[in-house]
Amino acid sequence: MAIFTADDKRLPLAEAAAIVHDNMIIAIGGGLSWREPIALLRELIRQGRRNLHVIGTAHGIDVDLLCGAGAVHIVEESYVGFEHDFGMAPNFRRACESGSVQMRDTCCYTLIQQLRAAEFGVPFLPMRSIQGTDFLRLHPEYKTMTCPFTGLPLVLVPALVPDVAIIHAQYGDAQGNLKILPPLVADLFFIRAARHVIATVEQLLPPDELRAMQPNVPYFWVEAIVEVPYGAHPTSCYPFYAYDRAHLAEYYRAAQAGPEIFRREYLARYVFEPATHDDYLERIGGVTKRRLLESWKEDDNAWRALFTAPEGAIA
Amino acid sequence: MSDSIISPSFSQRESEAITHATLPEVFIYQVARTIQDGEFVFHGYGSLVPTLAMLLARRTHAPHMVHVEGATYSINPTPPFLPPTSNDWVLVRGSMMALSIGDLFDIAARGDMGRMFLSGVQIDRYGNLNVTAIGAPDHPQIKLPGSGGGCNLSADAQHITIWTTGHRATIDRTGHRQFRFVRHIDFVSSVGHCTPDGTPRQAVGLRGGGPDWVVTELGVFDFDPATHVLRLRALYPDTTIQDVLDNTEFAPIIAPDVRTVPLPTPEHIALIRHFDPLRTHHREFRTADLSRYFNL
Repeated sequence: MAIFTADDKRLPLAEAAAIVHDNMIIAIGGGLSWREPIALLRELIRQGRRNLHVIGTAHGIDVDLLCGAGAVHIVEESYVGFEHDFGMAPNFRRACESGSVQMRDTCCYTLIQQLRAAEFGVPFLPMRSIQGTDFLRLHPEYKTMTCPFTGLPLVLVPALVPDVAIIHAQYGDAQGNLKILPPLVADLFFIRAARHVIATVEQLLPPDELRAMQPNVPYFWVEAIVEVPYGAHPTSCYPFYAYDRAHLAEYYRAAQAGPEIFRREYLARYVFEPATHDDYLERIGGVTKRRLLESWKEDDNAWRALFTAPEGAIA
Repeated sequence: MSDSIISPSFSQRESEAITHATLPEVFIYQVARTIQDGEFVFHGYGSLVPTLAMLLARRTHAPHMVHVEGATYSINPTPPFLPPTSNDWVLVRGSMMALSIGDLFDIAARGDMGRMFLSGVQIDRYGNLNVTAIGAPDHPQIKLPGSGGGCNLSADAQHITIWTTGHRATIDRTGHRQFRFVRHIDFVSSVGHCTPDGTPRQAVGLRGGGPDWVVTELGVFDFDPATHVLRLRALYPDTTIQDVLDNTEFAPIIAPDVRTVPLPTPEHIALIRHFDPLRTHHREFRTADLSRYFNL
């Protein structure tokens, strides 16, 4: 929504995270176990951000982690869970059931249309779906009307402007141009609708190298860019690394065991104790772990193995 | 449902030794049979049964269906195996390109999505589904993961196949039977043929035709055209009408000619095993149902 024209937008992770304030609406890029900006979310937790309103489509550890750290007040996502891998999202579930987080479930297309309204600069968009469901009851801000052209009932969903979109891309340059590889999930919709965009990237490239890749986000939408290799860990970021299933299993066990154990065994160990991102990379298993997560490139058998190990870790 | 035409290209050797089908394989075959050739078909994320049903249909009776894959929106992929998470490059393999999330839902909104698959933790007699929360939404007893795109697609897709592997009621800690097919659902995440108060879907302005088939581990159902209520059409060789009645909180309609579900051929089964070498789809089924076998 704003235009950012600085030539060099590189910032340290902590300064980029400071763009996010308490009570803001944040849109987190990626989805499920893919390309989520987890390094930046860990920094938000370290900085003690509170009362965030998170929006998105189908998400997983990103939203669950923020819920487990007490950083969230409202969750407006279409799904939060760990699919067939591990099941329901323990911290998210606990927070909704205790009332500390307000569940404001949305649906993928509803959210996309609300972001499009923001992107188009119009106050709302009409939809045919949602009618007959309880999402109308959950969202008093949706309105209904009779279509003046067809006489049929419609739902009007208001423009939804994220205060900050937080995106992890594969490539970028110092000016803020980005190349995000698919699945793009809702990232481009978030970027076009948001007031501020923070990008972390696996690699910062010279402009000529990035140009050759045909970037898909122009620099003027991006306010800050940070090079964070493994910035999506433990979610995947192909073509660099697959997701870290063993780490997710460890996360899940800690989250399932309750808030105290989660704080002690996960948040302390992986969010608060590592002083730098390099320390985090050592903590998760160093170069041995990184070689393993990059082994998907070798052949299909190596790739398959990353989805089966650790066998039997979760009942 | 479609009659099957077997692709002759698949290795005969792999299918020759197959003499029985597992319940999951028979289940997947029933879901595949709801797909028509030439349809635009989409499955959601974390949906291994529909994923396998679509891969199977595309290789057998529906070679010209458009297969759009769950979270990646890749078109006609040929994944080398099925991982337990959906937004993964494994599931993009073999596709020429992917749709954007906007394109996919626009196709449905303008009425061009032929079929979609949905499931529910609570399912009512009209095919309304709850995957949002058990209890009051402002104070949920159990927060469920959420409906993804289900709310929108249940309204917009031409046809919906509902499926659940949890039809059989369970006993909770207090000794009460927990039904999946219930009289009253706590939250309507996606719409069936009528709203819970009985208003038909057309009266609320929806374009799609609603659910036409329901596949469970106890049987195959459709909806009675006059009352829009769930109607039993076929049983497995090892289930009975009484099983269905005992495990459904409301009274389903029983068709006069309840049949036994058609079993897949060895070629179908070989294809399913080929598509899912990690047997990831077993995660969708209860342990007791994994040991159900049917001789071919």
